[in-house]
Amino acid sequence: MYLVADIDQDICSGTSCKLCTQYCPEANTIQYDEGLGAEGSKYGSAYVSVDRCKGCAICVWVCDTMAKHHAIKLEMIDKIPEIATTLGMQYTATGVVAERIKSEVLSEG
Amino acid sequence: MSLEYVKFTPGFAKFMPKEYRDMVDHGPFGRKTTVAQTGQFKEILEEHPMCAGCAMTLFIRLAFIALPNPEDTVMVGTAGCGRLAISQAAIQFVYGNYGDTNAVASGLTRGLKLRFGDKPKDVVVMAGDGGLADIGFGNTLHSWFRKEKFTTVMLDNEIYGNTGGQESGMTNKGQVLKMAPLGKKFEKMDMLGMAKVAGCAYVASVIPNNPKRVESVIKKAVLVAREVGPTYIQAYTSCNIEYGIPTEQVMQDAKDVEKERYAFSEYITDDAKEYLATQHGYKQYLPKPAPASVS
Ligand SMILES: Cc1ncc(C[n+]2csc(CCOP(=O)(O)OP(=O)(O)O)c2C)c(N)n1
Ligand code: SF4
Ligand code: SF4
Ligand code: SF4
Repeated sequence: MYLVADIDQDICSGTSCKLCTQYCPEANTIQYDEGLGAEGSKYGSAYVSVDRCKGCAICVWVCDTMAKHHAIKLEMIDKIPEIATTLGMQYTATGVVAERIKSEVLSEG
Repeated sequence: MSLEYVKFTPGFAKFMPKEYRDMVDHGPFGRKTTVAQTGQFKEILEEHPMCAGCAMTLFIRLAFIALPNPEDTVMVGTAGCGRLAISQAAIQFVYGNYGDTNAVASGLTRGLKLRFGDKPKDVVVMAGDGGLADIGFGNTLHSWFRKEKFTTVMLDNEIYGNTGGQESGMTNKGQVLKMAPLGKKFEKMDMLGMAKVAGCAYVASVIPNNPKRVESVIKKAVLVAREVGPTYIQAYTSCNIEYGIPTEQVMQDAKDVEKERYAFSEYITDDAKEYLATQHGYKQYLPKPAPASVS
C-alpha cells in the first residue's frame, strides 16, 4: 500500500480557499466540487483524484502553512474509506463532480 | 494548429479515452482559463513520469494554464527532466536536439510567420539550465541577438537533473553535487543580464510559489514575443532529488531561495510596454499623463 493525500471535506468546506488546487504539482489531481463538504456549508470542497496523486505532501504544507486550515493528511490508500478517481469524474459548470468509490475496490483488482 | 485539431471526427468520440474527451469538452481550448480556476477544468497537461513533488512540474503546470492561446502554441523542448511532462500534454511539441532548441524555434517561428502571416502563432522554448545556458548557450544568445520573436523559458534547477547531478553554469559557486564533489569553482551565470544586453524585450525571474505571478509573466512574455521581440523567463524550479529537499519542504525552499537570491524581477522595454498597453489592455503600462504645467 502507499500514501496519498486525503482531504477532510468538513474542514475544507468551511472556507474552501482553493490554494491546494493551485499548488499541487500534478494536473487535475486536486479537484474542486461545489456539491461536497459539510452539510449546509456555503462552500464546496477540494478532493483528491487518487490515481494521479504522487504523495509528495506539498498540498499538506500548503493547507497547513499557507491556508492554516490543516485539512489535508497523507494516508495509506486502503485506510481511506472512500476515494475518487479520474474515471469517475464529471466536469460541470460549477466544478468536477466525483463519484466516490470504496477504496476496497482497489485491492479487488 | 487550430481549434479544429482538438475536435473528434464525428462518430469517433465514444472510442476515445475519457481524459481526451474531457479535454475536448472541458479543456482550455478556445476560452481563457486562469490558475484561480484550477480543479474546475480539464488541463492540457496529462500524467507524466517526473518525480513526486518536483517544483519544475508545478511550474510547467502553471505555465501551461497561463498560455494565452494554447491551441495556437508550439512548445519546443529538449533532453532534460522538463520534457518528460511538456511532451505529455495536449499541445504541439517539437523536440529540439539538446542545445539546439533556440535554433529550432527560430526556424519554426519564421516558418509559421510565412505560412500564417499576422495570425498569431506562439512558439515557446522550455528547457533546462544545462540545455539553454551551457550546451545551447550559443544558440540561445544568437536567437536573442537576431531578435527572433519567440519566448524562452529556462527551467532553472541549477543542475543537470536528468543525468544525475552534474554542475551547470547556473549552479551556484561552491555548491557540492554528486558529480561536482569538490564544489563548483565559478559563479552562477547571469543569464538575466545577458538577455537584456542581447536585446530581449521582456525578461523576468520567478519562483513557482506564486501561481498568479507565474501566470502573469508567462502571458506577458508570450504576447510580447508575438510582435515586439524575444522574451526570456528564468524560473527557479528546484530539483528535490539531487538537492536532497524533502518534498513537503519544496515550497518552503523556494520561498527561502526567493528571499535570499532569486527575487522576482521584471524588465520590460518601452516598446513592449506600449504594445501590451495598446494591444492587450495592460492599462498599467499606458504612458502617464504629463503633469499639468504650472503657470
Ligand atoms: C546532444 C546531447 N548531449 C547530451 C545529452 C545528454 N543529456 C540528457 S539530459 C541532459 C542534462 C539535462 O540538464 P538540464 O538541461 O539542466 O535539464 P534538467 O534535467 O536539469 O531539467 C544531458 C546532458 C543529450 N541527450 N543530447
Ligand atoms: S488548502 Fe486546505 S482549505 Fe484550502 S482548498 Fe485545499 S484542502 Fe481546502
Ligand atoms: S500529495 Fe502531492 S501529488 Fe498528491 S495531491 Fe498533494 S500535492 Fe498533489
Ligand atoms: S530529477 Fe530533479 S528536476 Fe528531474 S524530475 Fe526529479 S526532482 Fe525534478
